[in-house]
Amino acid sequence: MSAPAATAAQPHSLLRHLLAWTLGALVLTWASFLVAGYRAGLHEADELTDGHLASVAALVLAGGSRGWQAPPDDEAPPPPPSHEYQRTISLVLWDAQGRLLAHSGPAPLPAFSREEGFATLALGSPPRPWRSFARWSDDGADAAARQRVLVLIDDADRVSLAWDIAGQVAAPGLWLLPALALVLGLAVRRGLRPLRALGDDVRALDVQQAGGLRDAHPAQEFTAVVDAINQLVARYHAALQNERELASELAHELRTPLSSLVLRSRALREAEGPPDRAALARLERDALHAGEVLGQLLALARASHAALAEAAQPVDLEALARRVLADAAPAALAAGHELALDSAGPCRVDGHPLLLELALRNLVENAVAHTPPGTLVELRLDAARRTLLVCDGPLPPGAGSPAAAAPGRPAVPVGALGLGLGHRVVAKVAAVHGARFDQPPPPPGFSRCDRLQFAPAPAGGAPPGSEAERISIVTERRAPSRPI
Amino acid sequence: MRVLVVEDDEGIAEGLAAYLGRDGHAVDRAATLAAGWAALRAEPFDLLLLDLGLPDGDGLGLLARLRAAPAGALPDPATPVLVMTAREQVAARVDALDRGADDYVTKPFDPDELAARMRALRRRAAGRSQPLLQHGALVVDPAGRSVLRDGQPVPLAAREFAVLLALLEARPRVLSRQQLEAALYNFDSALESNAIEVYVHHLRKKLGDGVIRTLRGVGYYVPAEPAA
Repeated sequence: MSAPAATAAQPHSLLRHLLAWTLGALVLTWASFLVAGYRAGLHEADELTDGHLASVAALVLAGGSRGWQAPPDDEAPPPPPSHEYQRTISLVLWDAQGRLLAHSGPAPLPAFSREEGFATLALGSPPRPWRSFARWSDDGADAAARQRVLVLIDDADRVSLAWDIAGQVAAPGLWLLPALALVLGLAVRRGLRPLRALGDDVRALDVQQAGGLRDAHPAQEFTAVVDAINQLVARYHAALQNERELASELAHELRTPLSSLVLRSRALREAEGPPDRAALARLERDALHAGEVLGQLLALARASHAALAEAAQPVDLEALARRVLADAAPAALAAGHELALDSAGPCRVDGHPLLLELALRNLVENAVAHTPPGTLVELRLDAARRTLLVCDGPLPPGAGSPAAAAPGRPAVPVGALGLGLGHRVVAKVAAVHGARFDQPPPPPGFSRCDRLQFAPAPAGGAPPGSEAERISIVTERRAPSRPI
Repeated sequence: MRVLVVEDDEGIAEGLAAYLGRDGHAVDRAATLAAGWAALRAEPFDLLLLDLGLPDGDGLGLLARLRAAPAGALPDPATPVLVMTAREQVAARVDALDRGADDYVTKPFDPDELAARMRALRRRAAGRSQPLLQHGALVVDPAGRSVLRDGQPVPLAAREFAVLLALLEARPRVLSRQQLEAALYNFDSALESNAIEVYVHHLRKKLGDGVIRTLRGVGYYVPAEPAA
């Protein structure tokens, strides 16, 4: 069960995330300072100790090394440092023949050599590194009187000095880091306050209300998010309101024939004598109308993108239009209307056949119901533009208002919803199919036009420009010209 | 009771006319606001059954116009109005009642409930609180459309019952023959010149001479106090 597990998991904290990154970066910076300090300290220690060794060697040779006597007792412990910063320097003095003249300090006695300069010697057992500097005295032409001085210092002292310098560089960071972490935590927490406010606002959002987010959230970074949320809420609310109005109007449409049914049934039940056939016929018509409305209501209730995705199948709009017009023809022709279909050939869309038929039937029946006798209702299928138009023409001479019914027939035939409601049904079906429903300017010769505009065919479907790729449906109404 | 039904749905209007007609009501029908207003201006009605969604506008417009009419002339602004509509929302009901409707029923409605509401409105308009009308030994039940005299049922035809009810509700006022005709017949009824006299004659035969009195040259009335 991944969903419950996901629900139970601790939500990721942006504050912790930001703190971790900030403090991580801080520690990394501090560590790099430490490394740089150690390297600088090592370098400085090298320079200091080497300079020190060279200075001592020069001092010994300049101060008259002849005054040095026999080597002291090697076993004697070195004298304690007289200052905490004093380094323990060892010194070895040889004559030109390699005889040991003097030896002081803790460094083990190295073997005699004639080399000069700096070197790191491994002395003692086990061997330890000692930094050394060797130099010969300059006694003119008397080479035999020359002396060689070797000054040594424990390499551990040098490393210790390097660490000391690095420590001095890094020490402020040690106490600054916790303080900085605390300050950073507070700053990040305070900085995230607008984000928390946005989160609280979103959490308190009531999609039943059209207002969207309560607060403005003026931060520039939130503008896109706030706009998107508000637009989403507005669209959701509009869709919800539309659904409510549609349900209300369908219920209204259903209540009227039901009321008529009840009253007529009561009248028939209480009537004396043989049944009134005309009343029975009206009863049947009311029942059919109620059933028609109920069927549309159920079809719309089932209509959704999800349901469409499951039930979608290729629908030939031309065949569908032909069938709808054929079904509508008897009543339309009896009422003096003319019907026509203008199509270049089969047009296929992926959709719900029942819903598409419902939409088309509504458009045609409404066009017939709300125009006077003699009006041409034309259905145009334009595969190139993926458009379906239902148009009706200008009123024929002497005709009354478009809503006026012909004498002897109801204003709206059985099955036809009111114009506004019919359009709502079509709009809902269009929305489910990702299509657009609108009323464009009518083509020349027509007075009104309803259009269903389907989305372009998906890539990889029919080749561009082919009949299957370009589909449009047009229903039109105009004065009599071309009957089917 | 003279009832005007303003309803554009032919089935409902016809059904109401048939149902109410059998109960002795005189029912006139109007399919538009304009026709309804013309009828209200032409004749006094005891009740207006008003649909809201009409081809030429909202029935509430007619209601507001009726309530704003001057008293003492036609249309009578005190005419009880019962709104019948498919709008079921509470807001729509509240709006209609606030704008002068006396009652509200939502389609589809039970005809018996509608009749009961009509009787209640009629009762309120007549200033009565009791559902039964009593006059001496005579007890009239408008809901059951029955008449008892000394506890014994008296069979009356629908029109006879309508004449008796109109006179009892109007007592002790005198109703002219024209007023009684207006309460009993709709615009389409074919009137016989002595129809009211015939109904009164039948009522006197069934109920006795003391109930309905004649004011020569003026009309008929039921006295406030029954004859001893």
